[in-house]
Amino acid sequence: MKTAITEMFGVKHPIICGAMMWLCKPPLCAAISNAGGIGNLTAANYETEDDFRAAIRETRRLTDKPFFVGITLLPSLRITAEHHKMYVRVCMEEKVAGIEFSGTPLDKVAGMEAVEGLKKAGVRMFHKVGAVRHALHAEKIGYDGIYAAGIEEGGHPLNDDVTTMVLTPRIAESVKIPVVAVGGIADGRGVAAALALGAEGVMMASRFIATKECEVHENIKLELVRRQEMDTVIYGKSIGLQGRGLKSKVIEEVLAIEARQGGFEELIPLLAGQRVKEAWETGDVHYAPLMVGQSIGLINDIPTCAELIERISVQAKEISARAAKLCGN
Amino acid sequence: MKTKLTEMVGIKYPIVLSGMSWISVPKMVAAVSNAGGLGILATGPLNSEQTRKAVREIRSLTDKPFGANASLMFPGAAENAKVLLQEQVPVINFALGKGDWIVKEAHKYGGKVFATVVNVRHARRAEDFGTDAVIATGQEAAAHGEDVTSLVLIPHLAENLTIPVIGAGGFADGRGLAAALALGASGVAMGTRLMTTKESPLHENYKRFTMEKDVYDTLFSKRFDGILCRVMKTDAAKRAMKKGLSWPAAFFNSRDIAAQVGIPYWKLFIGVLMSGYANARQLAYMANAFKAIKVATEDGDSKTGVLPVGQVQGLIHDQPSVQELFERILEEAKQAQGKVNEALA
Repeated sequence: MKTAITEMFGVKHPIICGAMMWLCKPPLCAAISNAGGIGNLTAANYETEDDFRAAIRETRRLTDKPFFVGITLLPSLRITAEHHKMYVRVCMEEKVAGIEFSGTPLDKVAGMEAVEGLKKAGVRMFHKVGAVRHALHAEKIGYDGIYAAGIEEGGHPLNDDVTTMVLTPRIAESVKIPVVAVGGIADGRGVAAALALGAEGVMMASRFIATKECEVHENIKLELVRRQEMDTVIYGKSIGLQGRGLKSKVIEEVLAIEARQGGFEELIPLLAGQRVKEAWETGDVHYAPLMVGQSIGLINDIPTCAELIERISVQAKEISARAAKLCGN
Repeated sequence: MKTKLTEMVGIKYPIVLSGMSWISVPKMVAAVSNAGGLGILATGPLNSEQTRKAVREIRSLTDKPFGANASLMFPGAAENAKVLLQEQVPVINFALGKGDWIVKEAHKYGGKVFATVVNVRHARRAEDFGTDAVIATGQEAAAHGEDVTSLVLIPHLAENLTIPVIGAGGFADGRGLAAALALGASGVAMGTRLMTTKESPLHENYKRFTMEKDVYDTLFSKRFDGILCRVMKTDAAKRAMKKGLSWPAAFFNSRDIAAQVGIPYWKLFIGVLMSGYANARQLAYMANAFKAIKVATEDGDSKTGVLPVGQVQGLIHDQPSVQELFERILEEAKQAQGKVNEALA
């Protein structure tokens, strides 16, 4: 395939893995990059500079292809503003291929010198946004690309609630830098649709959980195969940070607390990141909110990353050939 | 453009006009069908006599295929559907209910039946009793979508059904049409886009709002008409959501509905009461929504009026004729698809 994204990174396919806490570690990241996509190494998995740098080097040992580092610029209990600055500095020093930022724009967190430093080091900066205004800001301060994330994505979609089908063309027509579609994509049909909407690539996350290389309990993978597109739900609206996760007992509990206007203190123990880590490891889907998107309805098997990416590419091409006939191309 | 949909009903473009109350009226339906799409008459606000008259008016304005809808939850809808069958309307689009009997009768005269669905369960059931196509309503659509968005719903239905899938929700231009085809749809339904065309009877005020408002400017809640419904974000809509259900208003508004659909009020009232609390509450909600939508579409009232629109309003910036719009969409789809082809080559 050939798009602005494949050209920018010199990769075979414009298929990028989205950041996922506890899951985007060197083996999965390298498997995706080796398969011709772009893997993700999620920074918040690592609390010390040494561990973070070691993970980058471990990934490099496993692949000589480009990969992204995922950095969420939001305050959390475990990861502080100091961590954010450290991550950015290490990425600069290690000259990683790109960074997927989400949350607050980088200039507001670490100043324009961070933006300029990354530029100088040749690190491509992308920001995940859910609205045109945020995309315009990122473009203005010098980001290299935009992840346009629709409400169907797992994780924390913006509370403007716009779907990928509408958001992708709306952002693509508003900025000049490349746009990558996020949310609701798990196969070649989604890739072809995203490109038609004006995207230069796609980001997938949930789809990569159900692959052989993802280091997560087998139960979780099987659960994603079993569950359908209506099996995710939005929670956390009452505390101002909505999330989309797999319907489960713990999310029912969270929603019940929110319904009776229980506060932050009551919710925190259920939402804590450590709990999610345990759930991924033990395979208990009801123990913690597992942040997956509606695209789980399109996941039907557990392939290797190479099989998956190859299949997506072939499927997208077949669909495009068929659509070309319909459109008179 | 040839798809399973265009072949099945004999139309030029795989674009369907959604059946929108007070907008999808005979002139609008005929304009869409004459331009090569499939117009769908909205029978929600009509009684049987008016429905019959409307169908005949469409026939006087076009010799092209057209359709009509029946939202089976509304009082009077089953009677309207019977009229559509008697008049042998080429396509009947039912929603919010079970339309197996419509399928059976329509097939006798070679009519086609479309079911509007929001999930794979409803879609499979509709296919099982012989429905000819489904209109898949994504979350981004105007009015009654549910949680699943078009990007996920369309491919999921397409891989689970053998009948054609028509995408609804999120479609206003050729980029969207090309995306829908890639996802496995055989066509798209457009409501919000078509309500802002020269031929559309929507009041100029709301056409202007639609062109000015962005993709974020909708509200999606159960507090407007009792089920999940997406409407334009206006002060009036916010007020309506805040207030929720007003029983006294429903009492008055339902009198208007009884008069409009030609049912004696006592009969409607007792019928509604007998249907149980949940249903009565739902219909009371709908009675108020009915009024709010009517004053918005017909009078352009922005003080009490509320208009269902999709998120796609943020992609709409002009008011072309239906013919101009369709030609542009096809050209855009060709271009968008060409780019995809190039990228994948």
